[in-house]
Amino acid sequence: MVLSPISPSAHPHAELVHRLERGQALLAEGGTNLMEVIGVLKSYGIVLGEYSRVLKDIAARQFVSPFPVFKFFEGSVKPAQLWRHIIHDRINFEYAEYCMKSMLWHGSETDFGKYVDSDEFAANADRAIRAWFRSNPLMRAIHAIAPEMFLEQARQQAYYRNLGQFWTVMSDIFLKLSDEYDAGEISSATQVSEFVLAGLQDAAADPIYYTLSIRGEDYDLVPKSKGFGFLMDAGVPYVEAIFFRGTPFLGTVSYNAQAFQISSNPGEFAYGALYADPLPVGGAGIPPTQLMQDMARHLPNYLSELYDGGTRGRGDLLIKICESFQKSMFCVTTAAIWGLAPNPLTTDDPQQLAENREYFEGWLTRLTESRVSRVGYTV
Amino acid sequence: MADFFLHACWFLPLYGVVGALLTLPWSSGLIRKTGQRPAAYVNILMTVLVLVHGVLASQAIVGREAYRIVVPWLRVADLDLSVAIDVSPVALGGATLVALLCLLAQVFGLGYLEKEASLGRFYGLMGLFQAALVGIALSDSLLLSYGLLELLTLSTYLLVGFWYAQPLVVTAARDAFLTKRVGDIILLMGIVALSSYGSGLTFSELEAWAAASPVSGGVATLLGLSLIAGPVGKCAQFPLHLWLDESMEGPNPASILRNSVVVSAGAYVLIRLEPVFGLSPIAADVLVAIGTVTAIGTSLMTLAQIDIKRALSYSTSAFMGLVFVAVGCGQVDIALLLLFAHAMAKALLFMSIGGIILNTSSQNLTELGGLGARMPVTALAFVVGAAGSTCLLPSGVFLTFRHWIEEARDISPLGVLLVVNLLAALSLTRLFRLVFLGPVQIKTRRAPEVNWLMAVPLVSLTLLTLLMPVAFWHWDLLAFAPLAIAANASPIAAQFGAALLLLSGAIGFGLGLVLPLTRTGARSLQPVLRFCQDLLADGFYIERFYRVTVVWAVAQVSRLSVMFDRYIVDGLVNATGLATLLSGQALRYSSSGQSQTYVLTILVGTGLLVFLAVSWPF
Amino acid sequence: MLSALIFIPLLLAVAVGLVPERVTARGLRVAMLVASSVLFALALAVAWQFDAASGAMQLVERRPWLELLGVSYSLGVDGLSLPLLVLNGFLTLVAIGCTSPTLERPRLYYCMLWLLNAGVVGAFVAQDLILFFLFYELELIPLYFLIAIWGGARRSYAATKFLLYTAISGVAILSAFLGVVWLSGAPDFSYSVGLGSSLAIEPQIVLLATLLFGLAIKIPIVPLHTWLPDAHVEASTPVSVLLAGVLLKLGTYGLLRFGIGLFPEAWLEIAPVLATLAAISALYGAFAAIAQQDMKKMVAYSSIAHMGYILLAAAAGTELGILAAIAQMVAHGLISALLFLLVGIVAKKTGTRDLNVLRGLLNPQRGLPIVGSLIVLGVMASSGLPGLMGFVAEFMVFRGSFSVYPLQTLACIVGTGLTAVYFLLMINRVFFGRLPDRFGNLPPVQWHETISSMAIASLLVVYGLMPSLFLDWSQAQISTLVPRVIAPQEVIVPVAISPNQSDL
Repeated sequence: MVLSPISPSAHPHAELVHRLERGQALLAEGGTNLMEVIGVLKSYGIVLGEYSRVLKDIAARQFVSPFPVFKFFEGSVKPAQLWRHIIHDRINFEYAEYCMKSMLWHGSETDFGKYVDSDEFAANADRAIRAWFRSNPLMRAIHAIAPEMFLEQARQQAYYRNLGQFWTVMSDIFLKLSDEYDAGEISSATQVSEFVLAGLQDAAADPIYYTLSIRGEDYDLVPKSKGFGFLMDAGVPYVEAIFFRGTPFLGTVSYNAQAFQISSNPGEFAYGALYADPLPVGGAGIPPTQLMQDMARHLPNYLSELYDGGTRGRGDLLIKICESFQKSMFCVTTAAIWGLAPNPLTTDDPQQLAENREYFEGWLTRLTESRVSRVGYTV
Repeated sequence: MADFFLHACWFLPLYGVVGALLTLPWSSGLIRKTGQRPAAYVNILMTVLVLVHGVLASQAIVGREAYRIVVPWLRVADLDLSVAIDVSPVALGGATLVALLCLLAQVFGLGYLEKEASLGRFYGLMGLFQAALVGIALSDSLLLSYGLLELLTLSTYLLVGFWYAQPLVVTAARDAFLTKRVGDIILLMGIVALSSYGSGLTFSELEAWAAASPVSGGVATLLGLSLIAGPVGKCAQFPLHLWLDESMEGPNPASILRNSVVVSAGAYVLIRLEPVFGLSPIAADVLVAIGTVTAIGTSLMTLAQIDIKRALSYSTSAFMGLVFVAVGCGQVDIALLLLFAHAMAKALLFMSIGGIILNTSSQNLTELGGLGARMPVTALAFVVGAAGSTCLLPSGVFLTFRHWIEEARDISPLGVLLVVNLLAALSLTRLFRLVFLGPVQIKTRRAPEVNWLMAVPLVSLTLLTLLMPVAFWHWDLLAFAPLAIAANASPIAAQFGAALLLLSGAIGFGLGLVLPLTRTGARSLQPVLRFCQDLLADGFYIERFYRVTVVWAVAQVSRLSVMFDRYIVDGLVNATGLATLLSGQALRYSSSGQSQTYVLTILVGTGLLVFLAVSWPF
Repeated sequence: MLSALIFIPLLLAVAVGLVPERVTARGLRVAMLVASSVLFALALAVAWQFDAASGAMQLVERRPWLELLGVSYSLGVDGLSLPLLVLNGFLTLVAIGCTSPTLERPRLYYCMLWLLNAGVVGAFVAQDLILFFLFYELELIPLYFLIAIWGGARRSYAATKFLLYTAISGVAILSAFLGVVWLSGAPDFSYSVGLGSSLAIEPQIVLLATLLFGLAIKIPIVPLHTWLPDAHVEASTPVSVLLAGVLLKLGTYGLLRFGIGLFPEAWLEIAPVLATLAAISALYGAFAAIAQQDMKKMVAYSSIAHMGYILLAAAAGTELGILAAIAQMVAHGLISALLFLLVGIVAKKTGTRDLNVLRGLLNPQRGLPIVGSLIVLGVMASSGLPGLMGFVAEFMVFRGSFSVYPLQTLACIVGTGLTAVYFLLMINRVFFGRLPDRFGNLPPVQWHETISSMAIASLLVVYGLMPSLFLDWSQAQISTLVPRVIAPQEVIVPVAISPNQSDL
């Protein structure tokens, strides 16, 4: 054990602060944690792949269409596919849209958010909208009367694109991680976080952009030249919107204005994935249930067998998946925290160490009420 | 073919039941591997079938005699109960209208609840809801209507309780059920009494019975009051109005129906019972009094609400109050038209705010603002809905009000109408300004217009509401049935009615425009204003009043009963010599062997007793 | 046929004691399930043979027995006893179905269960006063053991309390029977309608009051009720099912059969008091239920309230009232059986029945959602929701009594409203809200645990929508059960129950 040159942290989660400083994951090691994390990330990777494909397709193909009835069909509507859609034997793309809307709603303070609010974006979008409705005079008339409506839709489409691009990368990272595990290369939660960090850093500079092709002509809504990057303009806002803030679930929180259960400042929201209570999952009014259902369709065998145990077997599958999923999200969060650290973890400079200390403590203060108090300590 | 649909109209309520049953595989967890959307599709399909069937049957009835389908249900001893269906233009038209609104709400729900996993349960309940509503429209039997009202009470309970894990839902669902149940129980008393006094329980039998004036005085008054109680609960009238506010915890698609057709169902039963109220002038006066108090009281309450759903729900109570006034005045046809005009407009208002809630994750008026530009379809729907429920333009409501004043020459309700109309216009203008105008706030920064599954019903209902006056002219609804010309007929005063109504609407609108809006949650600093604000926001503290009276009393009596049991009854038992056996150390440590001795003793003792006693005289 | 219904259980009681030790409790339970299915089928066969159109006592069996004492072995079934007979067959099957497969001392348990069954059947079909009394006492002993051996923590207290109360009840009933036979000078103890009518009204009233005191303990009527909540709380689920579903009905059956049957004139005199007692019972039971913190105790107090309706209908004594009393007996039998079954499952899975602890059991993944849904249905049936069986019975009760006792009837209707209050309190506490972490690992509910509840629930719906299905059994017979002043010449002291008895 390397002795820290600065005194121990006095933070309530001091153990976790030290763990982060030592390059260890927030998730406690041991038990079935690693297997759960890898298995659930494998299925999550598959699901994210599907989500991201559809999100990018909607951004490219539906744009501001007022009645996108077949938006989840990616262009081809075959009878068999339609039937599976009707009997709901399909991925819940609604959940992907829900995440997208969370990002959109929480994201107005980010650089990307400010850009879609800019006049430049409005001009780009206006051009694209008019091109889109070239042969639809009714919609063009509506656009002329209420220009803000389709513009807001275009902003939303930019987020479809943004999240789609982000998830494509994440899906690849998770699937590769699973392959590494299958090959015996991964043996701890810390390694998972390191792997994810490496993946994030590799993709950090990947451009986030939105170019729409209408009748063979390209319209740059968010041009590559604006320099939006994967990590800072998709990853960080995503973590903020989905992992931390989220939106209040109708199934657990009252929207009654006179009950004042919901903060008036969305910045104070703590309804995200790291805070969510897994026990109500599967019930009414809990949107992540859809994600858990999607992952349940793609569990690797070893994880299925693990879940078949317990008093209820598959009866409480969704809660079990959610619990594993939360563990995996703390591994990912660890990677994100490291990735944004002001100084390298390996530094010896007391000044830098102190900065890192302050930085990590800041995160854990924010995570105080999260599930880390469970999954960080006990297996 | 048309005949077939007409004669099979008794099946209209059953589509919903079939739909509800078909959702069971999903809601019970039998189908887990795939999602629950098919349950929604099945129910929407069923509603489409009701709609098509209803339209065909309505067309077939045109120009024909109305008739009844009567099926005996229970014939025991001197009790002869039958289930009767009314096959008439009003009944079939009502059923079709209900189906239409249900269809729109169900499709809307598919969009509003797109991230909901438990769709099976939700649509199953919506199916039951619809079955009960269609059934009430068609029912020609008080007993059947009572049963269906209770089914509505149950499905309201379950729908409000849909998000059962949410803390406020727990109490809201319970209170909704119990409040309505109070009304229903008193109604049941009335039904039992009616039946005992020799009336059959179909509405036509009731009418015939009432025409013979078999009871009078106090009995007739009590009977009338008990029959009023059910609709009072169902229509959220004073003093049973609180549940509608609380039930706003439920999902919005159900709120759409609850505020449009469910409350109307209660009022419809009231309308069918009107002949009985003729027996007692007091009952009729009470109807007017309840209606007036509720209409004005809840209209005032809307002004102080900061929750958008609650503000609208109080205005529902207010409008139903007017229906009560109409029935109390004997203007049954006016009451029917009011229900028709109100249902569409209110459904539209609730649909439009559904999109707002979904987009902003907020129902708090102080947090909203500036949404109009980016959600123009929703804003337009709100404007149309608001105009449709006030007298600003030639809306259905305005035509009905004017008809009431001018044609029935009944100016007795004019004052209430003017006040309610003014307050409604004021309140809706206030709501519109708070939600759609003004500065963009932190929660309204991002507001893309609603998704297509919500937009389609929203636009459809907007058009329908706009076409409402056309419907009035096209079907000549105002001349549809003869009016009761009021005794205080005053043609001259009545002529100013329309102008006054429009004026009151305009004043309300104008006041709404200049009303200073506070977008902070803070209360006014001025003591008098703050007092009024709190008084109205809390609904005149009636809930607290109930808590310290009725609820407290029930709790105390319950505690007393239990204490009586424990100390008096058991105390006496213990005191009368059994104490040695029942309490004390002997029994506590007694093994089963010892207790078997007791049994043996008793067995032998009883045997001996029997033998001795029986053999004694022989 | 009726004898078979009595003697097969008796034989089973003996046989089960002889089953060798190597047969496991599980195997024994299966065998008992088969046996009780056969008996239920037999009860249905009785119903099949029963001619609903005839107003007479049917399937009459009469053999001399203890002739010296004037006691005969005389059985018969009519529209009053038939529904109860079938109900008993059904609920015995249900009770064995919900018996734990890993029960301790299973031989003794099943032996007691069959003795109980024989006693109940015998009491329902006995047409001799002493025979009824013997069966009535016979049922007491096994029930005592069923509570005292397989019960909860305070089982000895509850069982002894039950035994003492019911023994007193037996003594009172016996005294009334002896009194009526001695005073009327009847040659034997055969039951016949209007047996007490030859007496002056005062002794009639005294005898009827004695009889009613005995029966009121069994029903139970406030203030003689405190044994019941204790017995229910301590009894295991199958015993509670039988206790609420069938055994309490012995009291109300006795009310209609012997109270009205033996003393029709006195009944008319005393009825206003009974109606008031009924209203008090209904309201008292309801209020006491509101304050309960134990799910089972709440259902038990609800039982007291609902049994009050039967007394009200019987007191009214109209044709509709008598029929309503029968309907309410069957309805209450099924509804309370359903509720006790479901509360039993909740208690078994969570280990508690405390309303302050239980929460959020509707959770579809880790809670008991199916049980919750069924409880909602049972509760709605209990609070008289139209479309379910409870409403039919209650409506008939209220309608049958209103013209005679309007105030008492209104009080009982208020009681119905209160039913919704306490049961909704229960549902909202136990099933709504967030599932606490301590219940995060509940064992799953197997299909065989809920199948009988589902069967009962379906019956409640079917009978609720089509009540004539079961009312037809009793309809034709009602006129014989209605209390009225019987002219002296009509009172014949019969040698045997003959079909023309009903023409009285």
